[in-house]
Amino acid sequence: MTRLVVIGNGMVGARFVEDVLSADTAGRYDVTVIGSEGCEPYNRVLLSEVVAGKHDFSALTLPTPDSPRLTVLRGTHAVRLDREDRHVETADGARVRYDRLVLATGSDARVPGLTGLRNREGLTSGVHALRTIDDAREIVAATLNARRAVVLGAGVLGMEAACGLARRGVAVTVVHPAAALMERQLDEDASRVVESAMTGLGIDQRVGRGAVEALVAHGRLTGLLLDDGEVVPAELLVLATGTVPSTALAADAGLAVDRGVVVGDDLSSPTDHRVAALGDCAQPPEGGSGLVAQGWEQSRRLAARLCSPALSATFASGSAKAVPDRDPTSNVSDVVRLKAHGLDVVTMGVCGSQRTDDPAQRTLHLSDPDLGRHVEVVVSGGLLVGATCVGAGPVAAELVTTYTRRTPVPSDPAHLLISALTPQPRGATGSVADLPDDATVCRCNGVSKAAIVSCVHDGAATVDQVAAGTRATTGCGGCVDDVCALLAAVSTPAPGEPTDSPTTSRPREDDVTKGKHMIHSAETAGS
Amino acid sequence: MTRPVGATSVPTHCPYCALQCAQSLRPAGVAADNGTGPTTVEVHGRDFPTNRGGLCQKGWTSAAVLESPERLTTPLVRDPGGRLVETSWDAALDLVAGQLLRIRAEDGPDAVAVFGGGGLTNEKAYQLGKFARVALGTANIDYNGRFCMSSAAAAANRSLGVDRGLPFPLTDLAAADAVLLLGSNLAETMPPSVAHLSGVRERGGLVVVDPRRSATADLTEDGRGLHLQPVPGTDLVVLLALVHVLLTEHLVDAAYLDERTEGLEEVRRRCALWWPERAEQVCGVPADDLRAAARLLAAASPSRGGRGAFVLTGRGVEQSRQGTATVSAAINLALVLGLPGRVGSGYGAITGQGNGQGGREHGQKSDQLPGYRMIDDPAAREHVAGVWGVDPASLPGRGRPAVELLDSLGTEGGPRALFVHGSNLRVSAPNGHHVAARLDALDLLVVCDFVPSETALLADVVLPVTQWAEEEGTMTSLEGRILRRRKAIDPPAGVRSELWVWAQLAARLGAQGVWDTDPGLVFDELARASRGGRADYSGVSHARLDREDDSAAVWWPCPAPAPGESEHPGTPRLFLDRFPTPSGRARMVATDHLGPADDLRPEAPLYLVTGRVLQHYQSGAQTRRVDPLASAFRGPYAELHPLLAARLGVVEGQRVRLATSRGAVSVPARVTDTIRPDTVFVPFHWGGTDSINRLTTDATDPLSGMPEFKVCAVDVTAASRHSPAPHLVGSRPDGSSAPRNPLEVKA
Repeated sequence: MTRLVVIGNGMVGARFVEDVLSADTAGRYDVTVIGSEGCEPYNRVLLSEVVAGKHDFSALTLPTPDSPRLTVLRGTHAVRLDREDRHVETADGARVRYDRLVLATGSDARVPGLTGLRNREGLTSGVHALRTIDDAREIVAATLNARRAVVLGAGVLGMEAACGLARRGVAVTVVHPAAALMERQLDEDASRVVESAMTGLGIDQRVGRGAVEALVAHGRLTGLLLDDGEVVPAELLVLATGTVPSTALAADAGLAVDRGVVVGDDLSSPTDHRVAALGDCAQPPEGGSGLVAQGWEQSRRLAARLCSPALSATFASGSAKAVPDRDPTSNVSDVVRLKAHGLDVVTMGVCGSQRTDDPAQRTLHLSDPDLGRHVEVVVSGGLLVGATCVGAGPVAAELVTTYTRRTPVPSDPAHLLISALTPQPRGATGSVADLPDDATVCRCNGVSKAAIVSCVHDGAATVDQVAAGTRATTGCGGCVDDVCALLAAVSTPAPGEPTDSPTTSRPREDDVTKGKHMIHSAETAGS
Repeated sequence: MTRPVGATSVPTHCPYCALQCAQSLRPAGVAADNGTGPTTVEVHGRDFPTNRGGLCQKGWTSAAVLESPERLTTPLVRDPGGRLVETSWDAALDLVAGQLLRIRAEDGPDAVAVFGGGGLTNEKAYQLGKFARVALGTANIDYNGRFCMSSAAAAANRSLGVDRGLPFPLTDLAAADAVLLLGSNLAETMPPSVAHLSGVRERGGLVVVDPRRSATADLTEDGRGLHLQPVPGTDLVVLLALVHVLLTEHLVDAAYLDERTEGLEEVRRRCALWWPERAEQVCGVPADDLRAAARLLAAASPSRGGRGAFVLTGRGVEQSRQGTATVSAAINLALVLGLPGRVGSGYGAITGQGNGQGGREHGQKSDQLPGYRMIDDPAAREHVAGVWGVDPASLPGRGRPAVELLDSLGTEGGPRALFVHGSNLRVSAPNGHHVAARLDALDLLVVCDFVPSETALLADVVLPVTQWAEEEGTMTSLEGRILRRRKAIDPPAGVRSELWVWAQLAARLGAQGVWDTDPGLVFDELARASRGGRADYSGVSHARLDREDDSAAVWWPCPAPAPGESEHPGTPRLFLDRFPTPSGRARMVATDHLGPADDLRPEAPLYLVTGRVLQHYQSGAQTRRVDPLASAFRGPYAELHPLLAARLGVVEGQRVRLATSRGAVSVPARVTDTIRPDTVFVPFHWGGTDSINRLTTDATDPLSGMPEFKVCAVDVTAASRHSPAPHLVGSRPDGSSAPRNPLEVKA
């Protein structure tokens, strides 16, 4: 039995435990997961929904596999890693031995070095990060007293937090030093459209302006001083100024650490092939996106690799060079979708500051600021390689599908800018009398308008008689109104036009059955 | 124009789908010959709660198959030159029996396999299971319902304790505030059922989930409801997101969940991972639309003051390698809304084949005995063996499910002989080239049919059997209602009932037990065998069904009364008091999305979805032999979005080549904006080079054995520049280009 220890029981760590236990059909691993939080793993992505008051905490709990091969150590930190002796030491003094170790320690909220943010115990009263379930609880509690809030940093989390606080009735100002909101994802044009949508939601913004000091009185926050001298008063400050990968454990143990724990394509540390890292704490060759989808994709790959029959060989040789296939169809890792009431922002691939000057790329825009809409697509080699969608509605969902599944783009990529699926109005207002003769009126029996008109000309005067002559209306009955309309239109003679006498409207037998094999009436029709 | 039906008019039901529309058949000679040819039977719609006198074009023209010039009327055997030649019944049966005895002696009883069908009457389905287990002694029996209802059955059994397609009368839909239809195009597949949706449509409550804007999805237009158009193969994600919204927004029926279900916590956690914005990225349905659909359903649910809601699944979501998981998620959705077991609400699967319901109850499935009993349950074996008059130990165990069974034909250790009844599997099974190769590898293929289907044409022995208007029996409709099929005319000389065929073979094989050929007697035996099972027919007989008015046709379970008790009335609605699970509660089963087995890749960058058209039924063996139906669609076509067509440089009617890793076909393009630009749709009703199932994958659901017909990756290219397909000209059902009334083609 191989002892597999996972440090971190967050969204990626918990997912990896699940993935590896289900991939390990041979029962090769005993898994121990060490989680510093005392609660069960939860969905961190939805914390902003908790702030918004849309979810309660109970809706966040994630699945935990029920397996005799799993040991969960909850509410304790890993404090030291001994790679010589291959054990992890926890805060409560336990030693957990491993044969393989997976770091999923995640990241911590970055607290900028502003005056006034911290006091001796930690963050100043009224200042909160939004990283853990406890942070969310504290912010929700703070909104009970705070009338005004500032969100520092307008990345994805800051935007969602701002909208969530506004939804709770707090007056919110977003302060963001870059020239565009969510500048990794949005360029300035897109940002302007989002800014105006935020104004519509009652959210103030200070874009392109930094904070210089958190103003504090009697130990409590009172406002934020900006670099142009403006003071934004607030009782609540939410820090959404990015995250820092949690790498201390790895660094102390001598593993290669840069911004995150350095790993190769196979997610193993180049320093120690027994150690892998994934999720926010890791720094893979393509870089970390900070999005959970990347961590989940890594989890799937690492679980598959650890459970592949070929692993034992590479593991034994220590070369660990088997690079698992990256899912060629999955591009989903860098799609950013804001979850914020009233803000419809989706980006993927090449967008915002992540743009490159690649001559092979073609960029098309649809700019409709009056409607709060801004769509940009970037196409290269017949594929969609990036998009920015603000207020784009269903187009965004279609672009995500095109992007993540790498389906070929239309010959004119301009078609990507509007929905291909929006139903066209199909003569809903037009009368059946205006339809062409060859239009089908009764789907169930394939009866054309011409056939019904002809039946009426032959003497049918009622729906039942049309039914007897053509079978129209005898399936689902959905065309009864159309048949009535045709009866009215056709049997009203135009001036001077000769017509059959209404009294002879009952069709003759040979009219009814002309060209047919069978009698057509429903017995109950007309009874 | 009501026409009184004469004394010789026979009340029965349509030969095609599970709606089983009521018909009256009037044998020729009573009405005047109308001069259009030798028609033996006139078809009338007949009033019944499900079809209200209505029929679709298939039903109206159903009598034509009786008169098909291709009707099989003589047994055929393959001669040394490879041709099928006529022979006598005795010669054919002796040949078959001799081969069976030889193969069995050489390789044991499992070397003979049986493939049944969901169109067989209850009596035939029952007798076929008995024939396999007793006369042949083989474990290897399965049927085409594996391609149809198996995922719904597996999920319903697991969660609700029993699988009855609709555990409520279809007419209950009329009063609901919401109906969610997942992967069902009933406006084309069972048109008269649409009438039951008019109430919910008036209230804006019809929600259709389908990658195509099908005729059914069109019913949601003009404010009648919502159409969600997901990426093929992602219906499960839609459902997980709907449950997520209901749970997080506290729109669930908490009291019901508490009292009547178990397993909520695991489902809650699993669904915590599928917030609408994430689901949108996978299924392509905008998050706001997912929320709107969830809220619409919640508002319709009884716990929130609504008039009721229904969740209904069809093949679109079930024919997937995660079909069982998807149906489980649909049931979970219904359970969090508090629907199953409440009058006016519920979950149901819309059964497809004519006797798709009864066909799955009486022992055609590889793992089941009559009455939905499991073949590895000792008590079940003892009961059924008692009815059959054999030793329980003599009954075989579980056999292979359909795809696995077909895959094993003619292989080392696999079956060497195969009987096919009521199925055209050469056309209807997935990965068609492979299936053909397996059939070729058999020593003996025996096909019972009434027309020379593509499968019959491959057979060593073809036995001509009765159909529909030529036979007595019962069919169990999509509602679980037992209906009488009645004989209106004599079969052609030379045609025999399958009940007779099995009795003859049983005698030649020296089988134990009684082999009745009278359907009424076979039903009585079926009733005894089902007694005490989940699908209990023991309180029903042909006499009872004939005695009562059809409007009182019986819903199972209908157990025989204890002595002194009065007759059981049948059970229109299940689960009102409890679920037939060990705990009496519905079991919520947490599931997660896996995605298609054959997903997109650069060489195959589009999704292929298969399905049906109104004019054809299943493999088309019957409907392609009816002129007005055949002329409406002479062959398959590929629906392409205009953007895709433009990219490929293809215009309406031009041929496109569709290729998967399993095969390729060339079909004309039909350009329409009702389909997603990343998806092509092709109907599957044709054989030979027109068979789209040459392309579909035989990846199967691990629990149900259902193949993934509904999604695979395909490459599409223009096949040639100058070949507009003749069969498309003038045949568009929506009338947008030069159509004509197919009914008038012969005029």
